[in-house]
Amino acid sequence: MSTASDAPVRAPGFHVSREVQQLAYRLLAVALLCAALSFAAEAFFTANNILNVLRQASLLFFLASGLTLVILTGGLDLSVGANIGLSACFAATAIKATGSPALGTLAGLATGLVIGICNGLMVAKLRIPSFIATYGMLWVLHGITYYYMAGETIHGFPPGFRQIGSGYFLGVPIPVYLMLAFLLAGTAFAQRTIWGQQIYAIGANPVAARLTGIPVDRRLILVYAISGAMAGVASIVFLARLNSAEGDIGEAMTLPAIAAALIGGASLFGGIGSVFGTFIGALILTLVLNGMNLLEVNANWQPLVTGLIVVLAVWLDMAGRRRG
Amino acid sequence: MSKSKLLAAALPALLISTAALAAGETIAVFTKNQTNPYFQTVRVGAEVAAKSLGAKVVHYIPTKPDSIPEQLSQVEDVIVKKPSAIVFVPVDYKAMVPGVEQINDAKIPIVNVTDRSAGGKFLAFVGADDYSLGLETARYLLKSLGGKGNVVILEGVKGSLTNIDRVRGFNDAIKEAKEVKLLASQPANYQRLQGLQVMENLMQSHPQIDGVLAANDAMAIGAIEALDGANRKAMVVGINGTQEAVDAIKSGKLLASGDYNGFLQGCIGTMVAIRSLRNEPTVTEVVLKPTVVNASNYQPYDSPLESRACPSWSEAAAMAGK
Repeated sequence: MSTASDAPVRAPGFHVSREVQQLAYRLLAVALLCAALSFAAEAFFTANNILNVLRQASLLFFLASGLTLVILTGGLDLSVGANIGLSACFAATAIKATGSPALGTLAGLATGLVIGICNGLMVAKLRIPSFIATYGMLWVLHGITYYYMAGETIHGFPPGFRQIGSGYFLGVPIPVYLMLAFLLAGTAFAQRTIWGQQIYAIGANPVAARLTGIPVDRRLILVYAISGAMAGVASIVFLARLNSAEGDIGEAMTLPAIAAALIGGASLFGGIGSVFGTFIGALILTLVLNGMNLLEVNANWQPLVTGLIVVLAVWLDMAGRRRG
Repeated sequence: MSKSKLLAAALPALLISTAALAAGETIAVFTKNQTNPYFQTVRVGAEVAAKSLGAKVVHYIPTKPDSIPEQLSQVEDVIVKKPSAIVFVPVDYKAMVPGVEQINDAKIPIVNVTDRSAGGKFLAFVGADDYSLGLETARYLLKSLGGKGNVVILEGVKGSLTNIDRVRGFNDAIKEAKEVKLLASQPANYQRLQGLQVMENLMQSHPQIDGVLAANDAMAIGAIEALDGANRKAMVVGINGTQEAVDAIKSGKLLASGDYNGFLQGCIGTMVAIRSLRNEPTVTEVVLKPTVVNASNYQPYDSPLESRACPSWSEAAAMAGK
């Protein structure tokens, strides 16, 4: 295991090679899972199912990728699921009221972003521990959403808007392109920009980061804002894909999003992790559900199987890293 | 002369006394959460009934959906506030028994709605039977399929009472139809997104799916989105009779939805409570017969909840006849 002090700050070259090595182990875990599934279920290893899994992983990835940046600073954003719920409901209302998908999309993204900025201000300026600040935010958001929706759903959106979630381009689902775009942008931001390196540095050692002149508060606000905005992105894809908004849509997604980042190698202590790792994490969680459905694992055993595979994947990864 | 004067004096007095009787009651309505549209129908049913009888309703809803500790503390609150009567949906039919016993000790009359409590004393139970709801909804689908074809089941939350009975009803209906093949029965936890994803996954391994039985409407509509996305067709049924399901039935996307009659349950539960307070005859058990909402009978469901009317007491009492 690496310690906080050897997390890279100034040496991107060293950092990347180490990352690559760690990611290789994680990819190995995915490959093992895929190999086992191909062997057990003939429908698994088909182009159709691979695109299906990627599309399913996209929602979780949007949510988890922004969250990864927060975790890199040593913080946590528990409000991402509740954020999706409110952003989706506001976006749905805006589309219904104005008839304009563009305005609706803007409303969803803006809601997510504003929530993220509020989280960032609470953490950076008021010095509230991120767990508490975002846990409080979670309840505030649930409260607003449940009151606003009063148990109703908003459904039926224009076909053009639905393309974002259910459309295809050259045979590949649109959400998969979006996921690849955010994967590239997120990786480039975290690994190749000064700001990205500063985020790693803050997580590795916040005191040292402050002393070296990194504008810690501004970077913290930035990562929570990104996390909120990504929840906004997820809410738009969710709406376009499900054609419906209801108050509790995000509730079941917060823990899987955190799990995706951690399975992908992020450390809750900060400074360690990557957007690509989180992509792998989201993929593993999605593969587990896909595999269980294809193999028709009895409903009674599904939670148990999920738990075992998640723990096994992380254990393999850690064992591999120790050796590496 | 003096006699009619007396009558004239007595008449307003009589009116005042009934008015006083009618306006006094406060009914505390306990439901499980603010998120499931079903409980909204129960709450609106209770409000409509109370309004027509001149009583008022106060709602108790856990902020964390289905939270046992929160409902327990709301029970403690309500005992202090002493409403005239309580209409009670336990968040958990076993865990809330001590709460019900506290209410019994405080001598507040209480009606049990939706989920039958495992203990405590109630004026009446008003609910629907999940098993026959599952059975009738599935029978409707299988009949529409012409008694043959491949079907899949999308189950709700494993271990929840409603899910166990609904899925048992589905399975028994499938057993009746010899030429129907059950391809898979997988959990999607009553969630729309999981309904979509599980259906997408099942379509990977099953090239021909003719019917989908979902244990609630949200999963059914998720499954329809999955079918549409893959350009495939299947007949889909759900359960709950939500507004969204009615819209989907109207547009021909959803075949049918078994109605759990939340609105009626709210109505009748509240009517029983108020009638008992006014010493009018009531019933002790109403188990509503399932209605399968489909393209031929959805019209009454296609209006805002608030504008629907509760049944008259004689109609409600007739539903109790079992």
